[in-house]
Amino acid sequence: MLSYRPGSTVAHRLDPRSKLLFQFGLAIAAVAHPTLPWLVGTTAFALCALAAARLSPLAVLRSYRIVLAVLALAPFVAGVALGPPWFRVDPALRSALHVGRILPVLLVSAAYLTSTPVRDTRAAVQRLIPGKPGQILGIGMALVVRLFPLVLADVREVRDAIHARGGEARPLWDRARLLAVRSLERTLDRSDRLSVALRARCFAWNPTLPPLAFDRRDYPVLAVGIALAVSPLVSV
Amino acid sequence: MATEQSVDLVDDETVGLFTKAVLLAALTAALAQISIPLPGTLPPFSLQPFGMFFAGLLLGPLWGGVALLLYVLVGIAGAPVFSNGAAGIGYVIAGKGTGGFLVGFLVGAVVAGAIAHRSIAPKPVADLSVPVQVVALVAAVAIVYAIGIPWLAVVTGLPFARAAATMAPFIPFDLLKLGIAIAIVQGGYLAGR
Amino acid sequence: MIEVSDLRYRYGDVDVLDGVTLSIPDGQYCLLVGPNGSGKTTLVRHLNALLTPDAGTVTVDGTDVTDDPVVARTRIGMVFQHPRDQFVAATVAADVAFGPENLGLDRAEIDRRVDTALDAVDLGDAAESRIDALSGGEQARVAIAGALAMEPDYLVLDEPLVGLDWPARQSVLDHLDALAADGTGVIVVTHDLRDLHERADRLVALHEGQVVLDVPPAEALDTLPDLGIRDPRC
Repeated sequence: MLSYRPGSTVAHRLDPRSKLLFQFGLAIAAVAHPTLPWLVGTTAFALCALAAARLSPLAVLRSYRIVLAVLALAPFVAGVALGPPWFRVDPALRSALHVGRILPVLLVSAAYLTSTPVRDTRAAVQRLIPGKPGQILGIGMALVVRLFPLVLADVREVRDAIHARGGEARPLWDRARLLAVRSLERTLDRSDRLSVALRARCFAWNPTLPPLAFDRRDYPVLAVGIALAVSPLVSV
Repeated sequence: MATEQSVDLVDDETVGLFTKAVLLAALTAALAQISIPLPGTLPPFSLQPFGMFFAGLLLGPLWGGVALLLYVLVGIAGAPVFSNGAAGIGYVIAGKGTGGFLVGFLVGAVVAGAIAHRSIAPKPVADLSVPVQVVALVAAVAIVYAIGIPWLAVVTGLPFARAAATMAPFIPFDLLKLGIAIAIVQGGYLAGR
Repeated sequence: MIEVSDLRYRYGDVDVLDGVTLSIPDGQYCLLVGPNGSGKTTLVRHLNALLTPDAGTVTVDGTDVTDDPVVARTRIGMVFQHPRDQFVAATVAADVAFGPENLGLDRAEIDRRVDTALDAVDLGDAAESRIDALSGGEQARVAIAGALAMEPDYLVLDEPLVGLDWPARQSVLDHLDALAADGTGVIVVTHDLRDLHERADRLVALHEGQVVLDVPPAEALDTLPDLGIRDPRC
């Protein structure tokens, strides 16, 4: 799976806010029109993003192989007909173009993931969204990232405990119920302890925000991101 | 000490709702990694919808929505929280054509919370009647498919009916999960939460 | 000076605190002991206004803590029993910075406090480490650093040694000794006095929500078994 790798590429040195905007802009532009020229254009932008992150397009495609394999089924499903000629080309091509639009989105997403640590995205969210919602979502993201491995370990422990006591013999719905309820109980206990700890540490609406600063190199990226986001409006 | 006079503490009740939303986001992420294998060619029994069910029932529309929004946001930020450890905006938009279901879970939690609690502030779960819970969760499941199927059709270019047909086999399982969620609430496990 | 006056708190049908009066001067090393359910945790959670009393007051240098929880929570740092559930960030320095960030301090001051707090628990080299990769003893010290970064006058630790092996225990205790020697008041909540009784200035025992013993630790040892607490010399 793709995940953050420390580095000093152009993509690594950009402010996460400009990278987020570029990523969303390209995603909007890519899905706007299922036509071949449009697909070629947006893919070119996505390849630039990969180059900025020093990622090989082939390596990225390989890490998305399962997703791509499932998506590649769509044109076949679309083309199959329940009578002669059994397979119709037009709907299959239409579907292939639709699925093709996803490619630049996957590529730019890979460039973002590998060049941006989660805490940078969290800082960007906290700075881009003003006031209380920004604080809730920013701190909330940091906490979810922190707690996800602990909760996952809890759930696996619960599952193993059910197995260890012969739980496989129980009906499916009962196993699912036990797993869900025991996991939920542990999760809510953690919530109680976390809430006391946050209060003891003066959890506030108006903390010092994480440091982020735009550099000169961010402005062209921001401009292209905005241009991409509005491009579907002007090019119909 | 001048700076400390202006500290605007988050009030106790909000902290409690916030940490529950955070932990339910983490639980949704954890349950997305766990599934119970089913015999034969049946798809594995994913536990992911429980995150949406509990978020709506326990936290109401606002904080239930925050829980699922946090889940989607940390995934976009790169934490491996989607099914099989996937992450990224590409997965939210496309996935295996299934990105709409992630967005559906988010809207479904808000809708379930709104129907169950009929206000922003959640009531104790014990005060919710069974029919209200059933309606809330059925609406949430309906929303998930109402968003997920057209999304699948748009992403893959499949005709709507074909997209619906590929997803139809999952519906009975989701209704079973819905029943389990209500059985958990009725079992009194969440009293006082 | 922390002053607790006739503090009462009910939970359900139980008087968890049934008229507790206590004053703790600056810089004292105090043990708060008692069997499970005696009200120890409930009492310390009133000291920084995490709980609101049904009756009675807690003041820190004359200020009622419920009137100014920010001052109470900065003056009295608190470390809880399960360190893993009180961390807010995945890495050490980011977690220790959480308290000072909430106080709205500028970034240079936050960085200074994080460095000082980590040095105080000998984790200066671990600033960028992942918390989950640390040992239990190191995690307990990160939790202490998180409280120290608020620059508190008192440090309250609720069962800080549970689950730690012997070297980790000694390390945490040695760091507490150093903090106490520098003038920080230390209040340790525990039901296990091993290694602690010879370090502290004072022992306060709670039983069913009341103070039943308030003496230097050496004078308490013979009466402890009557209160359901093991004699640490055995």
